Amino acid sequence: MALEAGSVSGPDLEEEPGSADIRGTASPKLETQRLSAWFGEKQALDSISLGIPPNAVTAIIGPSGCGKSTYLRCLNRMHELVDGARVEGQVLLDGEDVYREDPMRIRRRIGMVFQRANPFPTMTIHANVAAGLRFAGIRDPDVVDRAVVRSLKRSALWDEVREDVWRSGTSLSGGQQQRLCIARALAVEPEVLLMDEPASALDPIATAKIEDLIFELKKEMTIVIVTHNMQQAARVADFTAFLYLGKLIEFDRTRDLFEKPQETLTENYITGRFG
Amino acid sequence: MTTTPTGTPAERKALAKGLLKLNENMLTLAELSELAIRKAADALARLDAAIADEVFTLDQEIYALQLEIEKTCGDLIALHAPVASDLRTITTSLKMTTDLDRIGRYAKDIAEITLQFPPEAENWYGRLPGLPKMVDRTIEMVDVVTEAFVRRTADSVRDMAGVDDAVDTLFEETLAAVTKFMAEGFLSADLGVRYILVARYLERIADHAVNIGERVVYMVTGERLPRVRAAERSEGGPLG
Repeated sequence: MALEAGSVSGPDLEEEPGSADIRGTASPKLETQRLSAWFGEKQALDSISLGIPPNAVTAIIGPSGCGKSTYLRCLNRMHELVDGARVEGQVLLDGEDVYREDPMRIRRRIGMVFQRANPFPTMTIHANVAAGLRFAGIRDPDVVDRAVVRSLKRSALWDEVREDVWRSGTSLSGGQQQRLCIARALAVEPEVLLMDEPASALDPIATAKIEDLIFELKKEMTIVIVTHNMQQAARVADFTAFLYLGKLIEFDRTRDLFEKPQETLTENYITGRFG
Repeated sequence: MTTTPTGTPAERKALAKGLLKLNENMLTLAELSELAIRKAADALARLDAAIADEVFTLDQEIYALQLEIEKTCGDLIALHAPVASDLRTITTSLKMTTDLDRIGRYAKDIAEITLQFPPEAENWYGRLPGLPKMVDRTIEMVDVVTEAFVRRTADSVRDMAGVDDAVDTLFEETLAAVTKFMAEGFLSADLGVRYILVARYLERIADHAVNIGERVVYMVTGERLPRVRAAERSEGGPLG
């Protein structure tokens, strides 16, 4: 669907698994309304209105500096942690304004995985996964153990680490460390998972494992992924939003956006004719 | 090195070069197919075996070029993961080659029929006015869709099905004329059936031109035209 001034509500989603028409009866899981963001004087996002369908993967694409990572970080209130950063507009999670909620609670509901795997270097695999639970005040060893195992299974890492979850998290390969970070994010049972270029530092095999994992996880949660890799967006995302200079240019089903984009800017970007 | 979504500038340049080559080969293929119709019709009109033989050579060239285009398309997809208009151009080209190859095959079939005419056979081509009209219309249709492909325009080919209706009418007229001459004993069944087959092949060539028109609309706009029954179409079209 082409961008209309000030609002992009989303494409028609008939027969799309896990995503009824977000303009109709089913609500988007996450929605931004006229979301703008600044770093000091510099505006990074300009009035982005976008509905993110539930139980689906939405990819955010765009050239470097277009604001896609900033957009992601606004969704779970990470942006405001930067000095001088501010946000205008609304971010709605199930219709509730996340900026009126406790940020820690929001970050438990909206988990995040970063570009570079960042396990806590002094912690074991087990402790890394349990960290989020402990921050949330869950300390019952049985509860924590069950959550750790469940999270490692959901992140498709369990079979590779089950022999020794007490070794250091940093002893794992890069791809395994990234899945460990996903397990850590999953441990607190988030409803939405934000992924900021989660496979950009990984080889094709590790990337494929992450993509397989995304495919499985979307059955249970809503996923928003920022990626520079067009083919990755095409492979994993049900919907794709294209950002340019802080503005939302186009949002559509991924297959439509890559087959017949409505906006010339989108066409030029995805075909590499940009600039 | 600066990278684009589809790769480095060098890779983008390679894709652009490949698409240019594809475009040139598609134009050549369309021209060869159209030439095959012209030659086949000319051979039939003159009952000239030498011209008919040329159509066989053209058919071989068309087939060889079709294979080359298929390979180019495969390479472009495998190496460059094209998207959007690049992808639509490649998939449209792949589909169009089949239609253009079929057009060449029908031209060859007409040439074959011409070669089967007995030496003493009377030439009825001039007495069946529907046939030369069908030849002109089908060539014009192939011209129009080729032009639209090259210029990347959709408007001129949106109503090719409507134009095809006129060819279908000419086919019916030719069929009626031939059967009438046969029934009245002026035209032998042997020759009459051959002329009916020629008319049928021309009618099929027009159908393939319609297909190509639909593909070009998709390539240019991303829109897939619905099939509409002739009875539901309004009369007329870009060719009148």
